[in-house]
Amino acid sequence: MVKRYTSMAYKAADDMIFGKSVYPVKAELGLEIGAGYVTAEVNYAPRPEAGVSKEKLVSEYRRLTTDIMARAVQVGFPAIQLETEHVEQMTNNPDWGGEVAHVQKTIMEEYHEEYGIKTGLRHTPGDIREDRDLLALIGGKYDTLMESFEAVADAGADFLSIETMGGKEILDYAILRNDVPGLIYAIGCLGSIDMTMIWSDIRKIADKKGRVAAGDTDCAQANTAMFIAGGLLDKNLAHTLAIIARAISAPRTLAGYEAGAQGPGKDCGYENTIVKSITGCPIAQEGKTSTCAHSDVMGNLVMQCCDLWSNESVEYHAEFGGTSVQCWSESLNYDAAMLNVATETGNAKMLRDILVLSDKYRDPQGYVLAYDNAYKVGEAIAKDGDDLYLRAKNAAIACVDILNDADSKKLVMSKFELGALADAEAALKAMTDESETFMSDSMEKYKAEVAVFRPDANYKF
Amino acid sequence: MDIDPSKILVRYNVAKEKAQTPEELAAELYPSAEPARTICAAIFDGEEDDVIEGLEKAIEGGADPIALIDDVLMVGMKITTDLYDQGVIFLPNVMMSADAMLEGIEFCKEQGGSAPKPKGTIVCHVAEGDVHDIGKTIVAALLRAAGFEVVDLGRDCPVDEVIAAVKKESPMMVTGTALMTTTMYAFKEVNDRLLESGIKIPFQCGGGAVNQDFVTQYELGVYGEEAADAPKMAEAILAGKGLAQLKETFHKH
Repeated sequence: MVKRYTSMAYKAADDMIFGKSVYPVKAELGLEIGAGYVTAEVNYAPRPEAGVSKEKLVSEYRRLTTDIMARAVQVGFPAIQLETEHVEQMTNNPDWGGEVAHVQKTIMEEYHEEYGIKTGLRHTPGDIREDRDLLALIGGKYDTLMESFEAVADAGADFLSIETMGGKEILDYAILRNDVPGLIYAIGCLGSIDMTMIWSDIRKIADKKGRVAAGDTDCAQANTAMFIAGGLLDKNLAHTLAIIARAISAPRTLAGYEAGAQGPGKDCGYENTIVKSITGCPIAQEGKTSTCAHSDVMGNLVMQCCDLWSNESVEYHAEFGGTSVQCWSESLNYDAAMLNVATETGNAKMLRDILVLSDKYRDPQGYVLAYDNAYKVGEAIAKDGDDLYLRAKNAAIACVDILNDADSKKLVMSKFELGALADAEAALKAMTDESETFMSDSMEKYKAEVAVFRPDANYKF
Repeated sequence: MDIDPSKILVRYNVAKEKAQTPEELAAELYPSAEPARTICAAIFDGEEDDVIEGLEKAIEGGADPIALIDDVLMVGMKITTDLYDQGVIFLPNVMMSADAMLEGIEFCKEQGGSAPKPKGTIVCHVAEGDVHDIGKTIVAALLRAAGFEVVDLGRDCPVDEVIAAVKKESPMMVTGTALMTTTMYAFKEVNDRLLESGIKIPFQCGGGAVNQDFVTQYELGVYGEEAADAPKMAEAILAGKGLAQLKETFHKH
């Protein structure tokens, strides 16, 4: 049995700040995360044709790693972290991922030895736990996935991460039908059950290899909602529903920490500010410097409490300013320098609040994720922290309450967003307080409606 | 510290909102005769039971079940998709309406013992190695809602299966979605294998990592920026537009 969080790591929301966490973590080559300074975390994807063979992939990563390290030294940055999110070939063939990690770490060691630059390497195997048509969370693919973690840890990856998919079969169905109880079941319940299992095992590998079990993100679910929601004029999903999904994702991402993760949380986990308020663990975030990967409506705000500042992902190719990874790592590092100057000069909280206020009223998503409101969602989760269902429901209710209480002259929402919010509130009010009742009713409902849902095989019901 | 955000951002979505509610706008478009009006309203609301109930009444009143598909169900669905295109309603409304309409079509087919001729067949798939299929699911639903027959090959679909399905079904178009850069490389293989087989049909590609530059690298590729482009592209093919014209219309960058 894992120990659930039932209290907050921070006494007050105002105590939360970028670059500093309650429990910093260390990489092998001098980098410490959450120890008082922010570091850039560069993320990249190989060009499409590089996936055809191990040799081509390794060569691609060798080149892009060298490019990033060279640029960091050229411009005089004191530290840098790299994140390698696996393409499926690398996780399905653990020796491929291991070879890439080895090559990258070797290059980083050379730069560390020669220039003293502090570096960290995160590897994020892909969640390959699926058959052709179904999630297959337990079984042969799980074993391969664990072999991949072992391989990259052996080869030198400091931080182990993953973006798990538990609950996604229900999420994909529910999110397209404005089904709030479905979101709670998919993300808060099924996602947390899966997280509890897989992070217990990742932590065992990390401990055995002397690495750090870092963190997860609800990319497969809350980010799906955020991406479908899109910008102000997109008509695919109410932004109020997207932030409810995000609030529910916080207790789900928290489950990874309860099972052994220590941070830094993954960059695309926009729920990370909520998670940090509960765990005190360091987090990566992405925003205005990840527009190479996607657009969002809170580019500055999410920087508020970051310990690593990431670009999400960029395909490796040439730009006028160098290769894409050089350009984006340079931009990230300038951002990090600005944050660190604010800390050094005693202006960190002022800069944090400027970042927050530039986006807080832009969208319901930014409003709820502003650190003061994020902290309130955290408190709602910790209140019933022992109950996976209730804490997810609490998070959704807190999110709705925060939006309903907002100053309507500042946070202006469309009629559609307000309508979706009212519908969500009504759905939440109609939900039971009994976890067992909710779980059994939901299982029957979605077994009937979602053909690919396999509760016994995937969640051990 | 706090601010008046009005000089920091512009709420374009609120400014563009219509004065009328979506329900009011839809009601203006429903047919006047019953039970078609009630069935169309039930489709708009995504109420499957009400759709079936309305169809039962229509059939009891002497309507031909198969004719009801084109004359009522597709009319009701078009109200939903037109309002979606106009930005009045959102995607979940379309998905729920499509669920209700498809259930209605199945009911009519059971009652009538035959099936209407679809506008055309389209093969949909997610690239090999890629398990992210929500984009494909949306594309398939929007195509079905527009009256096209969809052969859904699912996710992580090997190139061989795409080629075999195209040879078997003779579709007017193939769609492919992908989230990852290295999986979308399979699109080039699909393109090359189709050309080797002498098949020159549009191959609509889209998804997270897919961009127009990549898609234009292969002859049959047409980039779909939005899922809603898929039915528009299919309609354009029906209207006689060829590959070059499709690219001219849908390649925006």
